[in-house]
Amino acid sequence: MKHHTRVAVSCISPVVLACAFLLIVGPLWGQTGSGDSKSAQKFSASSIQIEPTDPGDVRMPPEFRMAIYENLITQIEKTGKFQHVYRSGDKDAASAPDLVTLHTTARAFNKGSQKKREVTTVTGSTSMTLNVRITDHAGQPLVDRDVQGKVRFMGENLRATYDFSKKVAHIVRDTTF
Amino acid sequence: MSIQNPRVNVSVAMNSFRSARPRIWARALFLLAIGAPLMFSPTPARGQASPTPQAAPSVVQTDVKLVIGGEKVKNNSVGTLSVVGSSLQFATGKAKVEVEASAIQDISTNEDSRQDITGAAHFATMAIPYGGGRALALFSHQVDVLTLQFKDANGGFHGAIFVLPQGQGAPFKKQLVAMGAKASVPLAEPPPTDK
Repeated sequence: MKHHTRVAVSCISPVVLACAFLLIVGPLWGQTGSGDSKSAQKFSASSIQIEPTDPGDVRMPPEFRMAIYENLITQIEKTGKFQHVYRSGDKDAASAPDLVTLHTTARAFNKGSQKKREVTTVTGSTSMTLNVRITDHAGQPLVDRDVQGKVRFMGENLRATYDFSKKVAHIVRDTTF
Repeated sequence: MSIQNPRVNVSVAMNSFRSARPRIWARALFLLAIGAPLMFSPTPARGQASPTPQAAPSVVQTDVKLVIGGEKVKNNSVGTLSVVGSSLQFATGKAKVEVEASAIQDISTNEDSRQDITGAAHFATMAIPYGGGRALALFSHQVDVLTLQFKDANGGFHGAIFVLPQGQGAPFKKQLVAMGAKASVPLAEPPPTDK
């Protein structure tokens, strides 16, 4: 009986160790090749330029696009990650040697209703999904992912743009440029 | 003691008055000749700082909320929006934002609704039992949302969002477009009224 137990333990223990190893190393291995925000690659960038939101095929009101743009500038300045945060079209950005550019493209948008949210709690949420792309000077993407902004319970509809911008600022903060 | 009646030579007095009359007329004409050009010349009033007088605002609206996009003015500030000269001005008690009409790349108006009870009072309504706070959330009012896209002197792209009382966004858009601002969506003409 004891012999059987020893054999079982000796067979199972390498499998368990292998599984544990894969669990630890697997996610890290997957991230290195993705070019995502948690990429191990390092880019040198001291300035960023924010481009206005491209509505794409989505019908997004202009006030939401402008609110996204202005909130992004504010939130990325707050990260302190860059020496300069340039607006789109700024002439000074052309002379910045290590400039990265942030592009946002709308993927989905639902305006919702503040009144519905506050009366029913479960309906009327405002949500938006935008593709966030940060490219280097050569146009190579450093970050490319979809980010969602929403307001579910309280607050005005435009608050979804603030939520989105905060999430983008987190991505920028976590990315090694 | 006798009281004598004073004799007044009326003819002499009349003659002296008649002789003085031409002199008075001459003086009046002289003063008029000097004063008239001064009266009609465009002399700046005392205390007027600038040599060119500032144009009176053509469209003015108080209690306007700047949601976002004021460089010097804090977000969600309430102030006065006006079209002065060839620019749009938003002024609060402390600061002022000015955008030249020619720098506006796009201007649009939209309708939205806002809750009547906001701020700290809104949080207080949440404490009302039996869903009373939810019932109060039904009270809202329509507003106009004015969105501007403009460029600064350095070419930098900016956006600004203003919330105005209902129906007050269109006059601003109309005035700014007339002064050279661009609008991707033309201002809708009001429907004809049948009499």
